Amino acid sequence: MIDYSPMNIKIWSRLGSCGAFGQAALFLPEINDKVVMLTADLCTFSGLDRFKLKYPDYLFNFGIAEQNMVGVAGGFAKEGFVPFATTYATFASMRCADQIKVNMGYMNLPIKLVGLTAGLSVGVLGATHMSLEDVAVMRSVPNVVILSPADCTATIKATIAAAQIDAPVYLRLSGTMNNPIVYKEDFDFEIGKAITLKEGKDVAIIAIGSMVYNSLKAAEILEQNGVSAKVVDMHTIKPLDKEAIQDVLKNKLIVTVEEHSIVGGLGSAVAEELALLKQRPPHLIIGVNGAYPHAASYPYLLDQAGLTPEKIASKIENTYKEIC
Amino acid sequence: MSNMEKYTKAFCQAFEIDEETAKKLKFQDIPAWDSVGHMGLVAQLEEAFDIMLEPDDIVDLSSFEKGQEILAKYDITF
Amino acid sequence: MDKEILKQMRIDLLKMALSAGAQGAHMGGSLSLVEIMAVLYLDVMKFNLQNMKDEARDRLIMSKGHGVMAQYAALKQVGVLSEEDILTYKANDSKVAAHPSLNEQLGIEFSSGSLGQGLSLGVGTALALKRKNNLSSRVFVVLGDGECDEGSVWEAAASASHFGLNNLVAIVDKNGLQYDGDTKVVLSMENMAEKWAAFGWNVKEVNGHDVEALHEALTEKSSKPLVIVAKTVKGKGISFMENNPQWHNGVVSQKLFEQAVAELEAGND
Repeated sequence: MIDYSPMNIKIWSRLGSCGAFGQAALFLPEINDKVVMLTADLCTFSGLDRFKLKYPDYLFNFGIAEQNMVGVAGGFAKEGFVPFATTYATFASMRCADQIKVNMGYMNLPIKLVGLTAGLSVGVLGATHMSLEDVAVMRSVPNVVILSPADCTATIKATIAAAQIDAPVYLRLSGTMNNPIVYKEDFDFEIGKAITLKEGKDVAIIAIGSMVYNSLKAAEILEQNGVSAKVVDMHTIKPLDKEAIQDVLKNKLIVTVEEHSIVGGLGSAVAEELALLKQRPPHLIIGVNGAYPHAASYPYLLDQAGLTPEKIASKIENTYKEIC
Repeated sequence: MSNMEKYTKAFCQAFEIDEETAKKLKFQDIPAWDSVGHMGLVAQLEEAFDIMLEPDDIVDLSSFEKGQEILAKYDITF
Repeated sequence: MDKEILKQMRIDLLKMALSAGAQGAHMGGSLSLVEIMAVLYLDVMKFNLQNMKDEARDRLIMSKGHGVMAQYAALKQVGVLSEEDILTYKANDSKVAAHPSLNEQLGIEFSSGSLGQGLSLGVGTALALKRKNNLSSRVFVVLGDGECDEGSVWEAAASASHFGLNNLVAIVDKNGLQYDGDTKVVLSMENMAEKWAAFGWNVKEVNGHDVEALHEALTEKSSKPLVIVAKTVKGKGISFMENNPQWHNGVVSQKLFEQAVAELEAGND
């Protein structure tokens, strides 16, 4: 039904993750008539203008009142609907944390909370709009499935998968317009099953969201410098793919890369999995560390945080040479 | 195919319209040329001419006519 | 409404509190709700005892979670809960917990306890019913007046009128006291009725212990979301608990239990 043609993949990439989400939303009522789309004054920003035109009865705008939106989603979910609720990732996860705890955690209601512009992509608006804590918050709430698609095609896949699973889901959308393409053609996206994008014997890089592409590029640089690197797209942060973690134990260094705080995110999730193993490789956690950055452009912030392919590669290479 | 033919075809494919309509078209004249359709057009033009449009040029691409001016910057002549 | 029923419900609250022992019980804010719960369960609300999940039922949401003892007492009156059940109040793993815990068999629609969230759930439920074309069921949300300090209540209130939810009824148990004392001293939300009206609701102010007035208000046809601002007495019916903030959450000893029951039995109202 969805055409994963090269032109569509290019268009989705051009639209960015929010726009791609909106394109995926157009398919949802056909897949499940119980889907409803809730937003907090971000209909256009969530790429939902076409959805609103095509399915006006499926769209509910609650204004700039995110906590109410999540509570309303709880009411819809209890009555058998599949409510998506969209806002900036930082407001979705942090302003509504108590509603998330009670509705998605305690009551296990299958709300699909969509966090837009996670990470640093709207960092030009300042720290209020950066979302560097959302995975940490959401990961600590029981029952919540956390998805972090690597590119816009994966965003389409993850949105549809979120609608089909009977569980609360946090869909973390990262990157910006003209999002780099990781998946050039149709592929299998299964919740909880990581995807190995590149094999390598020395280092294993596990990445999420926007950092999957940068990790692939970093792996190319590492290869040129004689370090063989495997790259894994851990698109489901929770439940974590334990088999994929077992698979990287034979590498000499495990690296996690995320556009998120180094506290509580992917790095922590992997470290928790590794903690009790007697024999295991060391684990380098790459992410945003320290105080909130000052408002600046996305490329500048990624560079400052050491999250460009070059800086990721150099950090890995230095660590690898130092301890392996 | 001439550049003009390629250029017109990109519009026709992006918005599923005929050539006559394409040649007079401005942003938001038809429902298909909304913000999503705009990126579709950008993708079609980039594919047809093997270029990468700058963000400012994407914003300025407001009509069939304007697009030709913009593409001139990428050494595409009509 | 038989006064015997209201008396029995208050005695059941005391029994629950006695079972809870030194853990204490939210007596004040449950006693203020007795008439409201009695009118809802024994008079106004539609439900099917054979199937508490029946689509045609009215939905009740105890946003003011700590008042749930009054709901348990009403559920006992209609036969959903037994005497044995209510005596497990606050026991480990009891379905009759200190705050409502989602239980479809009991018709407890949602878990609550964190104040300020129930009206949003009510808005979502009311919107969902309309989308399902269930135009006969109504959604009742019970709020405390102290709870109305929470901003999220007003986010929900604005959305209810925005979406024209004439199937939604909020009941504010306006007993005038919250944890730290008089609501007018802690955080004044006066004029409560005018605030709801300003948010686009149809407002009825009633004496929350007058079953006739409650019946009339709760059965009124409204084209807008309806709020019943019910003036009540915290601790209503037991003299030493009435208007006494210490009984927001208090311990009922055997001696106090007997004293309170004797007072209720004497029926001095």
